[in-house]
Amino acid sequence: MRPLLVTGYSMLSALGMGRQQHLDALKNGKTGLGPSPIPLDFDTATGAVRVDLPELPTHMEAWSTRLARMAAALLAEIDEPLRRAREKWRPERIAILLGTSTAGAETTEVAYKDYVEGGKFPRDYDFQRQHTFGAVLTVVRELTGCTGPSWMASTACTSSGKTFATAQRMIEADIIDAAIVGGLDTLCTMTLQGFNSLQALDRVACRPFRKTRSGISIGEGGAFALVERKGDARVLIEGIGETSDAYHISAPHPEGLGAQAAMRDALAAAGKKPENIDHVNAHGTGTTLNDTAEANAIKLVLGTDVPCVSTKAYTGHTLGAAAALEMAFSSCAIEEGFLPPAIGDGEIDPKIDVCIPTELTTGTFNRVLSNSFAFGGNNVSLLVSAP
Amino acid sequence: MSIRVAVTGLGLFLPGYPNATAWAEKNELPADDPRKPGGLAFDRVNRRRASQMGRAIGDCVAEAMAAAEVDGVTTPVIVGSSIGEANAMLDLLDKMWREQEPMSPAVFTVSVHNAASGLLSISMKNKGYTTSIAADYDTPAATLLEGIGLLANGTDAVVCVCADEASPRSLLEQAPNWDMLSAAVVLQPAGATNALAHLTVDDCRKDRDDLTVAPASFAEGFAQSPQAGMADLVDAIQRGESGVLGLDRGNGRGYRVTLESAQ
Repeated sequence: MRPLLVTGYSMLSALGMGRQQHLDALKNGKTGLGPSPIPLDFDTATGAVRVDLPELPTHMEAWSTRLARMAAALLAEIDEPLRRAREKWRPERIAILLGTSTAGAETTEVAYKDYVEGGKFPRDYDFQRQHTFGAVLTVVRELTGCTGPSWMASTACTSSGKTFATAQRMIEADIIDAAIVGGLDTLCTMTLQGFNSLQALDRVACRPFRKTRSGISIGEGGAFALVERKGDARVLIEGIGETSDAYHISAPHPEGLGAQAAMRDALAAAGKKPENIDHVNAHGTGTTLNDTAEANAIKLVLGTDVPCVSTKAYTGHTLGAAAALEMAFSSCAIEEGFLPPAIGDGEIDPKIDVCIPTELTTGTFNRVLSNSFAFGGNNVSLLVSAP
Repeated sequence: MSIRVAVTGLGLFLPGYPNATAWAEKNELPADDPRKPGGLAFDRVNRRRASQMGRAIGDCVAEAMAAAEVDGVTTPVIVGSSIGEANAMLDLLDKMWREQEPMSPAVFTVSVHNAASGLLSISMKNKGYTTSIAADYDTPAATLLEGIGLLANGTDAVVCVCADEASPRSLLEQAPNWDMLSAAVVLQPAGATNALAHLTVDDCRKDRDDLTVAPASFAEGFAQSPQAGMADLVDAIQRGESGVLGLDRGNGRGYRVTLESAQ
């Protein structure tokens, strides 16, 4: 495939807002996980965004949710490349292709609680402007002036990874010249209760690939990237693999067959070999099943020597935002020449037969595979490369 | 705006009209019929897991694939839905806030937007691409554009299916309500020998003066669905229409298709 040029990207997570705060935490092995800001009747750590989010303009007040304000924060971070893109491309040729899993569920669950307790929704609650997948798209269109095709991918934890593939195809098909891609998600009670019902939450901060790992820590945040037909690329998306396990709605294939196929497809699309890969940003949720299956898949596709890190130990699993956020971390590894240490309590599981570096690694990293897997057996692997 | 592609298969489910043929013949089921979708594309286990909307999607996908003679193992499926499994979400919220019961893991896993596409890929043993997207009233246009992007990059055929369950009335007190509807088309590269029609998706604009193809004569409940545009497309192709058809009924950004009948 023709590489997709990433000309700017932004990050928001439990580690903070913007590049510097993320670099500081990732280089120093400092997790953003902590107590849940949402009251729960069970123990779990979460990756909550603690920075002040910008308000929307007054005329957009009806759309103002935590999710929409996260979008505004992420857009502000790519303001400069976006301004250049708007000078270069017509607004109807710049698409908005984002991913989310929960959309406005955080707002709706609070409103619904009022409805249950008092018989009516809060006066300012508006399902169509605050809950639907299209609500954030409206906000992003309004804030950017970009009027190209816009939609949300919602394939659970691969959602934002899909947006890179769609943008690449649409640029190649000459439907668009550029796109704002990525994704975002917020913490909500329903998600936390749901993963708890699946017994998939760790009671302490998640420990991907560790012997004592026992589940996920849920996080929130997002990452946006500006991708263009031509321009000064900071990194390239050189290959993308999109596959399905066709196995189970919520459990990964035990041998990671779908994950293997996604990684192989990404390599093939880029015309690269396993030995060309310098690092894997693993999906690495911290569940026993996922980490075992993924490590097996990585071993079979790439061998045992490629350093693999799950940055979910820093941010928690940001669900629909995870693929984009981890693409941004992969880009940082390439641009800054470092791999964050794999953090988490306990020793690395001896049954995990891939390289998990627990110390900061510096050097030259030209190609990073970033994996994301989801409910529904949906898999995306992005091959992020130096330009 | 977009590349010209062929439509080679159609699928439709409306309560009362279980498939596109029944709609074309205006062969409505009797009022005492349960009018529920069968979920034809699903295996038995996943049919039970699928919501009513998921089953309607399964019916449309099965019908459209059979008509186009494409196989479920390799053909990508794009599922478009405005609010997806919102009823499952409401069920979870009710359990959580009203009954304060522990959440059902089974309901939680199928409350995600891509539940139907995931269950379809499992049932059809499709290990390739699948996705689920949403764009409110522009979902039909988005679904077609995603499909056209795939075709332009070498895919042989793609199923675009759009569906929404009946609107959650408690959440949409002030907005127009709609009934469940699902509609599907199979897209293939232009010139396909079994083409029913060819189409391009045109740029969006709010004025509707250039629309020359009338939308389907659906009851108001279906016409209000965010997915009505996809059902209008199925209906227009069945009627052998050529011209410009709106992909929304005035609630979206104004995407339209230019349609050339091949019948």
